[in-house]
Amino acid sequence: MNEFLFSIGIGLCILVFFVLYRVVYGPGVFNRIAALSAIGTKTLIILLIIGFLYNRVEMFIDISLVYALLNLIGTLAAAKYLEMEGVKQ
Amino acid sequence: MSLTLILSVIFLAGGLFFFTTATIGLLRFPDFFSRLHATGKGDTLAVLLSLIGLGFYEGISLTSLKIVFIAVFMFLAQPTATHAISRAGLRSGLKPWMKEEKKG
Amino acid sequence: MIQKSDDIIIKTLARILVPFIQIYALYVIMHGHYSPGGGFQGGVILAASLILLMITHGVKDTQKRISEKAVAIFSSSGVLIYAGIGVLCLVLFGNFLDYSTLAKILHVDPAHARSYGILGIEIGVGLAVMAVMFSVFFDISQGESSGEDKEN
Repeated sequence: MNEFLFSIGIGLCILVFFVLYRVVYGPGVFNRIAALSAIGTKTLIILLIIGFLYNRVEMFIDISLVYALLNLIGTLAAAKYLEMEGVKQ
Repeated sequence: MSLTLILSVIFLAGGLFFFTTATIGLLRFPDFFSRLHATGKGDTLAVLLSLIGLGFYEGISLTSLKIVFIAVFMFLAQPTATHAISRAGLRSGLKPWMKEEKKG
Repeated sequence: MIQKSDDIIIKTLARILVPFIQIYALYVIMHGHYSPGGGFQGGVILAASLILLMITHGVKDTQKRISEKAVAIFSSSGVLIYAGIGVLCLVLFGNFLDYSTLAKILHVDPAHARSYGILGIEIGVGLAVMAVMFSVFFDISQGESSGEDKEN
């Protein structure tokens, strides 16, 4: 089971690098913010898998819950700022 | 191979599959709003399936209860974030992509 | 000035989530011994819940729930708890922040007295951190509205 979890983690890391292309080359700022939210979601699962591999899940559960919360607040704050300012493309 | 182990492998593989299709959609779709479709729906389903798979691996304990908390929070919060940023994009004047009319 | 959001989905989600985030922040403060957490991390999560309330409901509605006077009282009482426990240990013929002398008041052995002393310190730190982070965010958002100039 450890090898299976490790391969899922490696697959998710490769997907994060693919999403980074959209962060760098996305035309405009909205594409970049949506891609950053997607990277945060994948990071949450990678953290939990690392916790299972090191056999210390109780430590990594709290960290991943806090990270999900901070991802939400960052996306909401960025969306509100862009709505107020009226960004030109 | 017990039953819970087989179930957790199935759910984790399904989660990885939906993550892959969501990422391909994020890269290849032609417009911002269609990319939001891909990442808003695909990522949420993939996270829920992966968390259920990890919960089956752990068994019944305090840790699996916290995994259920993370799953409920993700189910509430991710669609709201997608809604907020799509509203911001619409208010800033982004036009949706239309297919060109073929003349003749 | 941060305006109130006119969307009902975002406002409802913020109203549902804020009490649960605060309960989780108290859990993180209390379990500093056994899992990652402690005073500073719990204080930051408490401040994040108040900031979520502020960016969805605007400044005026948030000020009805926590006024500036209440924020000042929170930060001062946090520092008072921290320094008070330290001076209490001084009064009981020990060093500053020497928790084993608290065993005379609480009637437990010195190992348990140290555990309770650290718990009290973490609560003080959490309150102070929450108040300071909220007031910094509030002041920066106020200063932005007076500094913008319209060019036509």
